[in-house]
Amino acid sequence: MNPFEKIFNFQIISRLDEMGSLALTSQERSWLKTMLVHPASTEAFTPTTLSKLNILLDAESSTEVQEIIIEKAKGQERQVYHPMLRTLRRIIMQDHGILLSYHIKHGGIKNNQSGFPHKLEYNMFKREWYLQWYNTRHHSLMSTKLKNIVSVEETLVPLDRVEALKVMLERLLEERKDYTWIQVVPTFNVELSRILYAFSCFEKSVSFDEDSGIYRIKVNYMRDESEFLLSKIRFLGLRVKIIEGEHLKRRMRESASMALARYADL
Amino acid sequence: MARESFDKEIQFLRMLALAGGAYSRQQFADRLGISVHTYDKTLRNLKGMVSILQQGLPAEQGTELSEWLRYNYYESADPLLLFLFRAKSLKETESIRLSLLLTALQTKELTAKDLQDVCSEQMPTDGPLPDEKTIRGDLKYLEEVGVILRVNGGRPYRYRAANDLIDQLSDDELMDLYDYVDVIANTQIPSVQGYLLRDTLKKVLRKRGFHPEAVETHRYKYNYHSRILDEAHLYTIFGAIQQRKMLHFLYLSPKKGKNYASQNTNPLFERETKGAIETVLPIRVVYDHQYGRWYLIGHHSRMGIMKFRMEGLTQIEEADAVEEDEFAKKLSKVEEQLKTSWVTDTTRIIKVVARFYSPNRSGANFILERVEAQGQWGVITENSDSTFLYEIMVNGIYEIKPWLRSFGSSCEILEPAWLRKQFIAEWKEIQTYYESI
Repeated sequence: MNPFEKIFNFQIISRLDEMGSLALTSQERSWLKTMLVHPASTEAFTPTTLSKLNILLDAESSTEVQEIIIEKAKGQERQVYHPMLRTLRRIIMQDHGILLSYHIKHGGIKNNQSGFPHKLEYNMFKREWYLQWYNTRHHSLMSTKLKNIVSVEETLVPLDRVEALKVMLERLLEERKDYTWIQVVPTFNVELSRILYAFSCFEKSVSFDEDSGIYRIKVNYMRDESEFLLSKIRFLGLRVKIIEGEHLKRRMRESASMALARYADL
Repeated sequence: MARESFDKEIQFLRMLALAGGAYSRQQFADRLGISVHTYDKTLRNLKGMVSILQQGLPAEQGTELSEWLRYNYYESADPLLLFLFRAKSLKETESIRLSLLLTALQTKELTAKDLQDVCSEQMPTDGPLPDEKTIRGDLKYLEEVGVILRVNGGRPYRYRAANDLIDQLSDDELMDLYDYVDVIANTQIPSVQGYLLRDTLKKVLRKRGFHPEAVETHRYKYNYHSRILDEAHLYTIFGAIQQRKMLHFLYLSPKKGKNYASQNTNPLFERETKGAIETVLPIRVVYDHQYGRWYLIGHHSRMGIMKFRMEGLTQIEEADAVEEDEFAKKLSKVEEQLKTSWVTDTTRIIKVVARFYSPNRSGANFILERVEAQGQWGVITENSDSTFLYEIMVNGIYEIKPWLRSFGSSCEILEPAWLRKQFIAEWKEIQTYYESI
């Protein structure tokens, strides 16, 4: 199996697009056949579709490449698929509204909250699905774990209202964005690759000052996710230092003194 | 297609993705060990490809490549680096011919002769028309990669496009399939073929009249996009392992700062090769979820078990095969040693004990949840409302240490004593980083 087959070439692909034609290779079908073995497939398809797919792919060979792969430091896969994805993605696609009942953090259930769904978001570290939605009564942007959703009902939203809600959602998301500047402590420049990889799961850009040999990384993040960014910064330890972002700096100082206090106790 | 060119493109894209914006042309070229001229040429080629692939996408996706790569970690689940796998060079006439053949076979069953007629009618007239041998060669290739199939029946053979998987699904089923491929390609490895299939399905959905936004309902937060570049080597390694063959390659340690060394066949690449030529028996590959990085684990006749970052492998070639026995022995040794590696460390086993502190607030204990989810084979004991103990036997502390430290003051190292001391020293120093605020 060679992922560099000429059939994947960009010129062929764009010509086929223009002609409205498809090229479906056995590599892609083999990959699918192998991946359909994953237990998530039973939640992703109706039993009829799944058996249809299995019949269609029957003659295909499956890929055994996974045999040679050892995955390390992987978070427990709590959830790859969630049965509610199918329903919710269709509601989102049709620009419909929702009436949502869900468990809240400290116990209890919030019933029949009306809202407008935005995206289904998978957090790669928590390995869990969330629904991003706008609560129309409280005028707030919400993120609810799919596993906490008790029930969802579809509602109709007038067309002109849909556009306004979308604009509103974009604005609220935009308002949550923040950034910080992180400097690579120069003694650790030899570990630059490790550091850049660690931040490569964020939207970021890098600047380099040749005279001082200093690398700075501008990380864009969502304000409600600052704790996750902090855990990455602590992960890297002495290698990096926050140089802009007062809240994050303060939190790092707190972490350090609280950690030292733990050790001082004994 | 020279393998050389892909090594260069992979390194080039990786550097753009990881250190985007950091370097000037000269600095970038220096770090790749290429001339500025080659830098410009590579960038031009990649940009050309992007602009062709981008047709039909919103214009705001930017024109600058590094910008384009940076674009939308939140706003799109499209893997931006996938286009590496679309970079194989091809003659213009060949790409026209293959597209014409495939198009003709989408709805009809045709013979080589029929297809030759199609080409004569539709190929641009400024070049020579393909002869029957060329058409047969193309059909053989298309059949090999599985995009067309030969229909039952005698000679002359008839062919048709192998699109059953798509054609036999209803719109609703196709939507489910697209979502499944999208989710699995983004969350599981390997994923390159999944992303290619996702691209294909995306087009089919549009063709069937779905709104372009219909394929944009899912987002993946904190995905390591550059991981797919390393999958370029995965199948070469897989092939060698299956045949118990040694691999020969030039290894450029990512730590040494230079990321690419050319084979000096091309006058543009007249630079000295810096790196080590290695010959090892490939055994396994490791994917590290903490950084989104791949490693090759191999056995070296003198050095024993060796680990290589996949991104440092260039000019890979297969060499001699070894006996099955020998491979089996090495494999069991590697598996045994990796059992207690946090990632790939195979040094001495150490017992690490840490006390974790649960958050004071009521509600979900996210510290416990995280340790349970990420603590690999470590064991949790003495679990109370406010604290719990975590114990693990692990090869060396180097790889587990960052994870423990990431918990900040919620984690206190108890054993080994020297690690506890190290943590105290580090926290003191980190405190000095933020003293003045």
